[in-house]
Amino acid sequence: MTLSRRDFLKSGLGGTAALVVGAAIPAVLESPLFAAVQVTTVNLRITDMMKEMVTHNATNDARCYYWCYKEAHYAMPDCPGPIIFAIQGQRIQLILTNDLDEPHSFGIPGVFLSGPVLPGRTITRTFVASQTGTFLYYDYLNAPVNRMMGLHGAFIVMPAKPVAGHKLTPYSNPSPGVQQLFDDLGTAPWWPGLAWDEGDPSTDTPGCRQNIWVLHEASPNLQAEVGHYTVGKNYPAADFVQRFLHDPFSPTRNNNVAQYFTVSGQSGHFSHNNPYICPYNRVGEPTLIRILNAGLWTHSTHIHANHVYVLRHNNKSDPFAGSLDNPIWVDVYTAQPLDTYDWLVPYMRPPDVPNDLGIGRDDMELGLPVIPTPVPAFGTSGGSTPFGDRTWPPLQELDFHIPRFGERRGTAQDGVTEIDLGVHMSPLCFPMHDHSEPSQVSQGGNYNCGMISGIIFTGDRKGGRPGDTAKVITFPMKPTVADCLVAHGPYYKDGVVPPTVPFMMPSMP
Amino acid sequence: MSLLNPAYTVARQSVVGAEGLWAKMFDPPRLGPPTPDYVDLARLPPGVRANPVPEVMQAAGYVVTPVAPHTVSRSLMHGVTLPTWDRAQAGRPTQLTFFLFADDALTPPFNNPQYPAPTLRVPRGAVYHAEVGCQGPPPHTIHWHGIEPTPMNDGVGHCSFEVEGKYVYQWQPNFIGTYFYHCHRNTQQHFEFGLFGIMPFMPPDAYFSSIAQTNPNGTVVLNNTPIGAGRDGKFRTAANLAAFPQFPGFIGGDPVNGVATADPLGQYRYDPHAFTVPYDVEVIWVVDDRDSNWSTLAPDPFTSFPVFGSIPGVNDNFHANGGHGAPGPGSFFAFNDFNADYWFITGVPVPAPVGGSAQIPAGITLDPHLNSGVSGTQVSVHVGKGQTGFVRCLCAAYNNARVTFPVDVVIIEWDGRALGVPPFGRYNRPILVKARTPFTISTARRFGAVFNSKTAVNSFATVEFLDTRGNDVLMTALIPFVIS
Repeated sequence: MTLSRRDFLKSGLGGTAALVVGAAIPAVLESPLFAAVQVTTVNLRITDMMKEMVTHNATNDARCYYWCYKEAHYAMPDCPGPIIFAIQGQRIQLILTNDLDEPHSFGIPGVFLSGPVLPGRTITRTFVASQTGTFLYYDYLNAPVNRMMGLHGAFIVMPAKPVAGHKLTPYSNPSPGVQQLFDDLGTAPWWPGLAWDEGDPSTDTPGCRQNIWVLHEASPNLQAEVGHYTVGKNYPAADFVQRFLHDPFSPTRNNNVAQYFTVSGQSGHFSHNNPYICPYNRVGEPTLIRILNAGLWTHSTHIHANHVYVLRHNNKSDPFAGSLDNPIWVDVYTAQPLDTYDWLVPYMRPPDVPNDLGIGRDDMELGLPVIPTPVPAFGTSGGSTPFGDRTWPPLQELDFHIPRFGERRGTAQDGVTEIDLGVHMSPLCFPMHDHSEPSQVSQGGNYNCGMISGIIFTGDRKGGRPGDTAKVITFPMKPTVADCLVAHGPYYKDGVVPPTVPFMMPSMP
Repeated sequence: MSLLNPAYTVARQSVVGAEGLWAKMFDPPRLGPPTPDYVDLARLPPGVRANPVPEVMQAAGYVVTPVAPHTVSRSLMHGVTLPTWDRAQAGRPTQLTFFLFADDALTPPFNNPQYPAPTLRVPRGAVYHAEVGCQGPPPHTIHWHGIEPTPMNDGVGHCSFEVEGKYVYQWQPNFIGTYFYHCHRNTQQHFEFGLFGIMPFMPPDAYFSSIAQTNPNGTVVLNNTPIGAGRDGKFRTAANLAAFPQFPGFIGGDPVNGVATADPLGQYRYDPHAFTVPYDVEVIWVVDDRDSNWSTLAPDPFTSFPVFGSIPGVNDNFHANGGHGAPGPGSFFAFNDFNADYWFITGVPVPAPVGGSAQIPAGITLDPHLNSGVSGTQVSVHVGKGQTGFVRCLCAAYNNARVTFPVDVVIIEWDGRALGVPPFGRYNRPILVKARTPFTISTARRFGAVFNSKTAVNSFATVEFLDTRGNDVLMTALIPFVIS
């Protein structure tokens, strides 16, 4: 089922703008989570913005000045710029207009460089999406200043078709180990469910599932200084780097060290509980995550709930340098500045939920019996939870609310309406974050308002192939899909509990 | 366009409809709930075992009494100060503040707070319960890094809750390898200040093989099998070393189903030694760094804790210290600005300043009380010629760590997952790293690597600590590495 962009825009959350250039890519165009626009030309204005960051509110000023690419179809710019998708071989026309005071550019190193566009001018260029993979585009002039000021984004090139006789991968020339992995997803007994490229409209599951995480650090003090610099002159790049990376410690943050840390332009809740950025899938719906480091720090990206296969690093097949065709299976990976890498998340059942075999084989294992006693006071209505049968699916946990109803209250933004801040423990929510933890803060503190996203489990396909709707379990959620994707905490108006979709176990054989 | 006249203003995204999630993200609730979907360890199905480690450690005299049958205990946090190696030098801090774990069940004085926390070993497939008590002051969590249970048991506050009082975490290790555990509350501070320990998972017959008999009251009597070894008396870890015959004793398994290979002795559901390699000596390197500014200026575990407001999204307090009083001169809001100036290898201080280089002493080993009863684990390396050494290395630093071995090594696991072990490892393979070839890991990555040298070596392994802001080498640690 496709949902209109309007349904998602009303949630107040969003992701990065996205373009599909030239030939259609149905998997991207049909996914409401990209809300992509199909274009024949990439039409970018280089402009600027003052952006309100995660901890900005009525009592706390948290704004940062950026330079940004604004695409013609979108009313607002952002950092990062729009995700640009293309099929391999697509010829792409770029129109670039410079609304700022100094020269700027658009480049994808190894693929295309626009050359400078002077202030007030417009240039038109053409290039070909020659290789499949995950690329950073950015303003390469006065490196790294222009890129760090926000002029960057993701350029994603998909293959036109799979390698003959094999399943589709993200590449036209996958290495043998990677091709074997994608051939096994949804086919091999240890990967029950869908192949990567397979969707299932009957369960609202898109095909070619992918999330794109552009990492960045922002220094409000330094970016303000650049924005206030002499008109027409480039800020000295060596000074920028020295200040951004090596300013002496200041306990009052009176220096140029970065204070905001973003995944695709958002931090904390806005990048974690956000289906435009964070994957929301069921067990058996493998997903690709493309990570690009547009910043100047090294980050150590750690994902919970599943280990991931590192398919490519900087568009080569050696996540361990020199060891080609070796997609290692990890829970942390290193992002150097300008690195890109691709993770395949199998979306297997979290393997360390207790089971009867203890070898991580969802196709062979059974959850262990649990104590059949209702757990008081954490359930849906504040009463007892239903007792669970086995450790998976975790029925008692899925029924918990933490905070419980009535425990934590607030007022809505009209200043009048009372709201309950209870949170349903469904779907199952896990984070992905930089483990080099100075990036987990905003304005020097406020842990968990930093460079974080997540991995959310919305159910279990139980091996269900496309169309096997009866097999597929969806964890208890709110009535409409659009609502599900906004929040899994209830919102009460006048104390009326909105209806939730009841959990239904498939009938046992 | 410029700073004073930007073309656009981009508003912060809205929290309307998600106020509960928003508030929970940075201000999770604190409680001590019952464990949902709780498994009764006294009524496990046939072939499923409860964690034997607490009872084995009790029988060996390392644990007084487990807090509950088959239940590990950890308490956090304990604020401790430790002296710095350079305290006699003018201008240097005399101590660092640490936040530490303790295992209250250990025989005194090992039940004192420890840096790093006591090693926590579990055999694969054993059902694991840990009773975690929070104090000093609460709340805290334990996240078991690399373990993949349900959110309530994953120890991440914003996805579940933070512990006040106590909670029994429940999970089961399904993959043999190297993991770790740490507090996931105000993590940039709590993890940095020492709230972590390493967590190796062993083959399914480890610990069980040391039990001669189980008494009716649940205590056990030990036999002569070294604690942590398997039923053949050897220590093993997961690997696929079919292509590396220089490591004797490797046992393979089913080429498709991997460890799901029948147990020739019929004692376990599957052969506990399938796809494992024995090792003679285990080495554990937990490389860590500290920033003395943070230690001196932010000794309170509640530093810079936000508090959700009466109108979430509008008046949340991002200047707070978690309700521990209004921010004042003692407040610290510079956790974005990390500058390491002290370094450690598995708790051993490296006596070098920024820009320097120093070695740690030879002969450092881990006490079995603090090593889940396993004896002989080394930090500084001394292995016999022709013996297989197995290094587990965790980067607990915020710096990156660039590691160089003086001998050829084979990396057999990353982040607890053995390379090349079917089915999940059929797509990858172990990695030979030639001697003196550096490679770099970042925070929380771990690798396991084996080596076996027929020739003598009298050298060092080096760990260079690299700034994550610019990759400068901040300090080089030298770990004695001897093969004789």
